[in-house]
Amino acid sequence: MSEPFVDTANPTAHRSVGQPVGQSVLSGTWRVLFTPLVLAAVCGALAVYLNAQDLDRQEAPLLTMDVIVRATWVMIQLVAISTAIVIAIAVPLGILLTRSFARWVAPPILAVANIGQAVPSIGVLALFAVAFGIGREGVLFALVVYCLLSVLRNTMVGLQQVDPTLIEAARGMGMSKLRVLRKVELPLAVPVMLAGIRTALIINVGTAILATFTLGGAPDGSNGLGYLIDVGIRLDRLDTLVLAGGVLTAVLALLVDWAAGLVEERLRPRGLET
Amino acid sequence: MSAPTPTGGSEAEPMIRLEGLQKRFPGQAEPAVDDLSLDVPEGEIAVLVGPSGCGKTTTLKLINRLIEPTAGRIVIAGEDVTHADPDSLRRRIGYVIQQVGLFPHMTIAENIATVPQMLGWKGIDARVDELLELVGMEPATYRGRYPRELSGGQSQRVGVARALAADPPVLLMDEPFGAIDPITRERLQDEFLRLQGEVRKTIVFVTHDIDEAIKMGDRIALLRIGGRLAQYDRPQRLLIDPADAFVAEFIGGGARVKGLRLVTVDDVELTEWPTARPGDEAARVLALLRESDRGHALLLDPEGRPRSWLSREELGRNGRPLEGLGETVGTTVEVDDTLHQALDALLASGAGAAAVVDPSGRYRGVVDLATLAAAVAAMAVNGHRPAGAEAEAANSERDPAAGS
Amino acid sequence: MSFLEYLDSRSDIVVQLTVEHAEVVALSILIATVIGVALGVATYERDRASRLTLAICAIFLTIPSLALFALLIPQLGIGYLPTVVGLVLYALLPIVRNTITGLRQVDAAVVESARGMGMGRWRRLRRIELPLAWPVILTGIRVSTLITLGIAAIAAVINGPGLGELIFSGLSRIGAVNDVNEILTGVLGVMVLALLFDLAFFVLRRVTTSPGVRA
Repeated sequence: MSEPFVDTANPTAHRSVGQPVGQSVLSGTWRVLFTPLVLAAVCGALAVYLNAQDLDRQEAPLLTMDVIVRATWVMIQLVAISTAIVIAIAVPLGILLTRSFARWVAPPILAVANIGQAVPSIGVLALFAVAFGIGREGVLFALVVYCLLSVLRNTMVGLQQVDPTLIEAARGMGMSKLRVLRKVELPLAVPVMLAGIRTALIINVGTAILATFTLGGAPDGSNGLGYLIDVGIRLDRLDTLVLAGGVLTAVLALLVDWAAGLVEERLRPRGLET
Repeated sequence: MSAPTPTGGSEAEPMIRLEGLQKRFPGQAEPAVDDLSLDVPEGEIAVLVGPSGCGKTTTLKLINRLIEPTAGRIVIAGEDVTHADPDSLRRRIGYVIQQVGLFPHMTIAENIATVPQMLGWKGIDARVDELLELVGMEPATYRGRYPRELSGGQSQRVGVARALAADPPVLLMDEPFGAIDPITRERLQDEFLRLQGEVRKTIVFVTHDIDEAIKMGDRIALLRIGGRLAQYDRPQRLLIDPADAFVAEFIGGGARVKGLRLVTVDDVELTEWPTARPGDEAARVLALLRESDRGHALLLDPEGRPRSWLSREELGRNGRPLEGLGETVGTTVEVDDTLHQALDALLASGAGAAAVVDPSGRYRGVVDLATLAAAVAAMAVNGHRPAGAEAEAANSERDPAAGS
Repeated sequence: MSFLEYLDSRSDIVVQLTVEHAEVVALSILIATVIGVALGVATYERDRASRLTLAICAIFLTIPSLALFALLIPQLGIGYLPTVVGLVLYALLPIVRNTITGLRQVDAAVVESARGMGMGRWRRLRRIELPLAWPVILTGIRVSTLITLGIAAIAAVINGPGLGELIFSGLSRIGAVNDVNEILTGVLGVMVLALLFDLAFFVLRRVTTSPGVRA
């Protein structure tokens, strides 16, 4: 079979963003629980700190439990919906583009995906806000477009890096092309594909926070957690609003990454190196 | 120059027949395989050997149509499969490659079960265990393991088991032992030959190593660059009677000595040798020696086992009992050892002969240089492995020297 | 006003912001390279240490950029300094990871023969290991640069320098004149910089990699 055209000069590029945070030096249950326990402690400390502050009339309404929960929920929805759409588009497309008849399109796509890492997420959000108007629709489109290349690239790289001798062995045993894809190529590509999806999730969280600038609406939580930082900077409430916003969004992102890491571990085929 | 079918093939229908096979890769001026015709009789191992670039692997992949031929026909078990559905064809052909190609995400059992599953077999678990046992791996231990937990030799054993899983009549092997250390390789080769004795598959085996070809092959097809057949013959004939300078050079020096590996002691007539028993008179033994014109007599112990070589000089110094004299017999040879091993024992003995014993260690006769020379001469005429009884019968009428 | 007309009328400020953007990214990458390679060199031989280092660097890359900048404000205020610090933290992981990977995949036989010739720890690192690992490290730096170019645009929220200013400015007046032009200029400016940086890395790779290990 023909050579895989992985960019050998760029061996780690397909994991350019996320690395398991939980990849700590601990083991067993503690390793799994370490991240959420630390994050819970951080949230607790933040609550204690904020309670000790004398919140003024502008700060207090933004820091109620109600608002924060609503904002978090908005973010989770945005991230979940956009990631699901991205997977639904990028995985089949990646499979299609790595079939032998389409192999010539892969190098240019991978090159574009590479440079695409530099596109400012806020720029994509802004352009879609112009095109679709302020609101959820444009934000979702922007999130999907922004993450698509990442998942697409990992799907393609993951399929391409499958050892060609395995594919030949499978073909030699009389597996049809479709069966080789199902039984050999996809299972072996899963780790790289999952890494891409996890990366996409993290990018999505980071971008969804910026969506506060294009979602519109009042700062009552309906435009995501970013409002705390945005309003905080504008009102110069650095020690309260900005700090709380930074901590909460960071905690959310790390939690999503942690959860994604757990799923990744569960879905990785056994027998593959960890 | 050499006929598609070697001498001695009396088989009615070859299991594999390649007819005028050609492969021309797009963009290459010269064909990779050119006008290749050869027959592989059922139950035999045909080895494709040659320098790199001779198209041996391409030829192998033409047979299971991983590469489609440009011209020519492939016939398996009398059926023209040149245009058959490649997937179902391949399920009937075992395929073993150097890299083994075990699927790393599947257990050993799942790997072996792959083809039977595709064929919709029942009772696959039992079959998997049977195969693991066949290749010498404890099923309970290895069934649930993953490929990365195996050594190279173990992986290739599983590779062979996987190829045999659906009991295909034909097995294609592409340098299966090429990536394995020499000691393990030797063991795997021996095991495989023993296994082949049981399963009797028709095998096409690719290697670049002429010694492996000689060891494994019932027939050897030597290819030159460009995929042209230089010679297709029994290993003995290839060694003794190379078709041209290319073949001779590829075989390299010591062709006859290599040939000794192909003949077992069982195949040759043992030479009579003067023997003595403890308590015999030295003078009588000496007289026996003079009569037979040998330099040494072989002293046997009371159970009839070779004990020591007695030289004329020692026997001449009279008076001492025979038991204390002579050079102790070091290595003896058994009937299923090769003549190559006999040669080694012969050279070590100092008496110019290797003592042959039966399984209980009792003396049967000796192999000396004359025996070896006769065996080599027989090879030249015979061109077949004397061990193969069927081939023997097929050949005996036009082979007056057979067995002598 | 068409896009080209807009560019023409605002070329001074666009060029200035582009140069600022390039400068702050280049400076951050330079600092991140020094720190990242040092961290990699310090930890690559010890499994626990390197895993811990990577896990910490991964946290910086996981935290959304806006949150990271926000968290720096209480200490560093707003403007140039927190921008650089934020970008350096962001750029660390690919550089550290590729340094560790690169140094680890140097052929053990090569290292051993260097030891056998009596090369000391530092000489070995400088003459053998780092040059052999360099293509991989450079790839990490390149990935960091691409990521950082995009992230730098967000620094405009904390009054950082660069093209982000155009994007946020356009964003703040969607529907008004020149909104799309400003945003497009910002995005395309970053893309142009990405291509230029990539080109620079291509040249740098040619110049700084031994012909013997060039792929």
